[in-house]
Amino acid sequence: MPSALEARDIRVIREGRTLVDGASLVVSYGEKVAIAGPSGSGKSTFLRAMATLIPIDSGHVLLDGVDAIALPPTRFRTRIAYLPQAPPMLPGTVADNVAAGPALRGETLAPERQIELLRAVGLDEAFLTRGANELSGGERQRVALARALANEPKVLLLDEPTAALDPETALQVIELVRSMATAGRGVVMVTHIAAHAEALSGRRYVFQAGKLVAVAEGP
Amino acid sequence: MSYLEIPLPRLVVTLGLVALAILASRWKRLDLERDLAWGALRGAVQLLAIGHVLLLLFKHERPEWVALAISGMLGVAAATSARRVEHGPSARTLFPYALLAIVLGSVVALAPVFIFVVPLHPMYEARYLVPISGMMIASAMNVVAQVFERIFAAAHAHAGEIEQLLALGATPEQALARHVRASVRAAMIPTINSLLTVGLVALPGMMTGQIVSGTAPEQAVRYQIVILYQLVAVAAVSGVLAGEFGRRLLFTPHAQLRLPKRAPASDMRA
Repeated sequence: MPSALEARDIRVIREGRTLVDGASLVVSYGEKVAIAGPSGSGKSTFLRAMATLIPIDSGHVLLDGVDAIALPPTRFRTRIAYLPQAPPMLPGTVADNVAAGPALRGETLAPERQIELLRAVGLDEAFLTRGANELSGGERQRVALARALANEPKVLLLDEPTAALDPETALQVIELVRSMATAGRGVVMVTHIAAHAEALSGRRYVFQAGKLVAVAEGP
Repeated sequence: MSYLEIPLPRLVVTLGLVALAILASRWKRLDLERDLAWGALRGAVQLLAIGHVLLLLFKHERPEWVALAISGMLGVAAATSARRVEHGPSARTLFPYALLAIVLGSVVALAPVFIFVVPLHPMYEARYLVPISGMMIASAMNVVAQVFERIFAAAHAHAGEIEQLLALGATPEQALARHVRASVRAAMIPTINSLLTVGLVALPGMMTGQIVSGTAPEQAVRYQIVILYQLVAVAAVSGVLAGEFGRRLLFTPHAQLRLPKRAPASDMRA
């Protein structure tokens, strides 16, 4: 499988503390990677570094083999979807949120496509007119995923997408994330819940002492 | 000039007004006695001092002295607006940006007026240049301080939203646009309100002063109109520039949100 996104020897130091200490990871198209580890181990920082959202002290992030530094940030970030834990909703309706990415580039997202994206994340078109800030945690997570998918990203970086959800909804979201990989996207999911890392049934890592340690090679 | 002079003993009598305020504070336990006393003293000393400085300046009207006076005003204004910005970078980091925003706003408002509307002879005529520049610089100072205060607070409060927009492919301009707009608008509104209510509620200070010192009211009014329009230009130019500078300070060259200070930055979350 060709590598989609690669983090090479990432180091992040903040206020004298080394949060990420030479972590490397390669994600290919259609591949699922789960990163587990306790809270505070630096796994979220690593994911944010892969999304180029924070400055790194050394190392490289490569998209299709090209250093992210060489790409305009706006272009890199439309190829890579990053969802933080409890993604914030933008002001307005669900439709405004789903169409936000293309709108930033001056494009309108056709209503049919909005409905298609909502269906892909397990919601229906009735949601389009709802206020984004009235949604439940699980619904927000799904809308955020639909919003990210509107950019047609190649890789998804998901930070604890299941942390705030009840067990049943969590498993549904993991199933959804798996389907994103089946559709050819690379997926990296950070979670502190070992069972959810397993449920993704891909490669598994544990974040330890600022580095990634392989646990399972996946099926 | 025909106006009633205030001898010093009578000036001292007006301290009774401050004493009244202090009594009210003590009676209602407002705990403002010290502030009132200190403020009254400091205000009087500063004004008496500036009175003498102006006297000297008018007597020895030389361009370098006038420039020095205005530079001093600019320096104090920039330092004041860069100080104590909650969630903002240090005063030292903000100072040059505050200075530039105040200087450019003031120059835009002052230069055309002193060239075309109230042409000065010589160009450095202190009697006009110093007090009118002072008004513009003070207004720019307030606008810049407000924009800085709001923009850094908004970035701090809405870091998640701003970062999510960046993640969706927004440029820093796009990600912060809503907050820059709100900050600059809020800073400009007092100036616009003063345009709307001027003359209805209070007569502005400069006009009052001119009338008291014997200027014909219709001329005093014209001066005041010029001043008000200048203040609008100052608020707009300094406000927009402060917004622009604030935004630049909030992002790295790689379009990453950079929250100043040791705020509970979200990248510390793991």
